[in-house]
Amino acid sequence: MLRDWSEVRYGVYWRTWFLLLVLTLMMVLLDQASMSRIVLVWILLAAMLMKASLIGAYFMHLRFEKLNLVLMVVVEILLTAAALFFLIAPDGIRILERSQR
Amino acid sequence: MAEATENVAPLGWSSETSSPFAVSWNKLMMWVFIITDGLLFAGFLAGYGFVRLSSPVWPDQMAVFHISFIALMTFVLISSSATMATAVGAALQGKRPTVARFLLLTVLGGLIFLGMQAYEWTSLIREGARLYSNPWGVPQFSSFFFLITGFHETHVLTGVMILSIIAGRWLKGRCSAEGVVLAGLYWHFVDLVWVFIFTLFYLI
Repeated sequence: MLRDWSEVRYGVYWRTWFLLLVLTLMMVLLDQASMSRIVLVWILLAAMLMKASLIGAYFMHLRFEKLNLVLMVVVEILLTAAALFFLIAPDGIRILERSQR
Repeated sequence: MAEATENVAPLGWSSETSSPFAVSWNKLMMWVFIITDGLLFAGFLAGYGFVRLSSPVWPDQMAVFHISFIALMTFVLISSSATMATAVGAALQGKRPTVARFLLLTVLGGLIFLGMQAYEWTSLIREGARLYSNPWGVPQFSSFFFLITGFHETHVLTGVMILSIIAGRWLKGRCSAEGVVLAGLYWHFVDLVWVFIFTLFYLI
């Protein structure tokens, strides 16, 4: 796979860098704007995942790796992290409800 | 007999072509490390999410942090990732002087980020933030702040040390392109983790 890496031009890295900066700037500006909290959170989460995908795909070269490796990384990290959070989140909400009674 | 030996894979694979992931052992192990380390941060952030959900109040981050300063830190780290990617690309194309230049720029970016994080820690500590208490009413707020950013800083510091060693060895001609690739993967992982910390801890 290394031969595929060498075909990548530096321009890709700097375009990725520019997109990351634009997304970061957009997130900071939106965070200071007055808008619905729920909408803001979903936009920020979407932007966060876009930034993570850009770093993984272009800086870490996952876009040029075999699908087996990509699935191993993405499934193990993202799905395990999401499962972990969604398994413990209901308990957090229950604690909050109990403290507010 | 030769065919029988080849069929021993995957435990016995010895080259990139017979690996189910089409990468060398070194790179596969770096990915395994990144996954396990990523899960460590996932655990921290899930724990932080749990505490956020169960807390009736949470300090307003805009009032505690200077978000523009944190955005500047993010800019520095993202830029260092771009210089690292350029160093990796140059290493794979055999452009030796370019690799050294961009590796040193990446180290510089890491050092600037460390300095900015140290400044942020100092500012919050001067305002009264401690591991188990803070002036903003929710003790867990500063606990998670020091825990998560502290672990991330340790990773940045480790990355700076690794990159400095790699740069030195590269200049002496004692480091292969794959060494730069592996160091690059680690550095991008540090950047990737910061993307999650920046969004989940500082913005949301």
